[in-house]
Amino acid sequence: MLTELQDMQARLNATPHLLRLGRLFTETVQLRVDGDEYYLSFDQGRLVQITEGPSRKTPYRFALVTDADALHRFWELRPEPGFHDIFGLVKIGRGRIEGDILTLVKNLRFFKEFMALGRWKEAAA
Amino acid sequence: MSIEPITGRYVTVTVGDAPRRIYFEEAGQGTPVLCLHTAGADTRQWRHLMNDAEITATHRLIAFDMPWHGKSLPPEGFETQEYLLTTEAYIDTVLAVIDALELDRPVLAGCSMGGRIALQLAALHPDRFGGFIAIEASDFQPAWYDIDWFHRPDAHGGEMGAALVSANISPYAPEAERWATLWMFMQSGPGVFRGDLSFYTQDDSLIGRLDRIDTGRTPVHLIVGAYDLTCTPEDAQRTAAAIPGATIAVMDELGHFPMSEHPEGFRPFFADALERMATHSARAD
Repeated sequence: MLTELQDMQARLNATPHLLRLGRLFTETVQLRVDGDEYYLSFDQGRLVQITEGPSRKTPYRFALVTDADALHRFWELRPEPGFHDIFGLVKIGRGRIEGDILTLVKNLRFFKEFMALGRWKEAAA
Repeated sequence: MSIEPITGRYVTVTVGDAPRRIYFEEAGQGTPVLCLHTAGADTRQWRHLMNDAEITATHRLIAFDMPWHGKSLPPEGFETQEYLLTTEAYIDTVLAVIDALELDRPVLAGCSMGGRIALQLAALHPDRFGGFIAIEASDFQPAWYDIDWFHRPDAHGGEMGAALVSANISPYAPEAERWATLWMFMQSGPGVFRGDLSFYTQDDSLIGRLDRIDTGRTPVHLIVGAYDLTCTPEDAQRTAAAIPGATIAVMDELGHFPMSEHPEGFRPFFADALERMATHSARAD
């Protein structure tokens, strides 16, 4: 999972329109996949650090909790219904949003497009 | 150069006791089909079907922007009002447009909240219509989000609304159409999407009215996309099952805004729905 996230980090930091969309987004997001914690630290839209957990001391604004199978199905080029969106994962019981959801909603396009960057890898495979 | 066959005009109607200046578009000749847009959007959602020469050869498609939406201004004094759509105001507006345009028992095609009101009209005013095409429509949908997110002084409700509803667009939708569909939400006036959602997510009065719908008199056909998270196929199937004689089609590769997000994918389903309306009408004659 760390490799996938590092690939997404490189893609984000090379995608001008996402950096523009995320220019006010300076937050840490926790991604929890099958219980494994990853802390994604964004600075003005740039993903500057990925830290593996577990950690009880790292503050984060919100968390996306899911499992690796769901995430890989989300990253398919044409995901099945429900796996096509992070709120879809929530709707079908394969994901959960925790924490400050309003901050997520205010930056929803940015965060959704960041999460979807994993689809580029699936397209290339 | 190509000039599209769609024409747009304005009509002023009275809803409640106040005038409403309403923008409407139309194309084609034949059986009138009144098309209703979704929450937070406008008539442009129907642009592809209104430009479809085969469909408009036998059907007159008419679509209008609800007050507060698109090119229909909000009523005078809106600056101090909280916009909250109600079933009653929505019904009154649709009937007022039908009267003003002198439409004779049009087919009513509505999507999302437009589909919900189509089913309300099927229950309450069936004599005014030739049939109902309820797209992404169900008896009731409680919100899986906080509708107040979309009207706040510290954030752009339109951009947040677009980001949310993108969850309802199919990955099969062409990118250009996906973003044209989302643009309408981005352009939506402050508080308008929230006011539409207030109607859509809080008024459950249709549930108790479904059994009044007489599909022997006026046909009801539901269409739902598999990628619709808001009105899922299960929601639409539950609704169709509660209306004796209603028919339903599930679109495997479409979402909540099929006529706008993926016009080619939606076209055969809409043509089939129109055919069902015509067949019923011919039988009744």
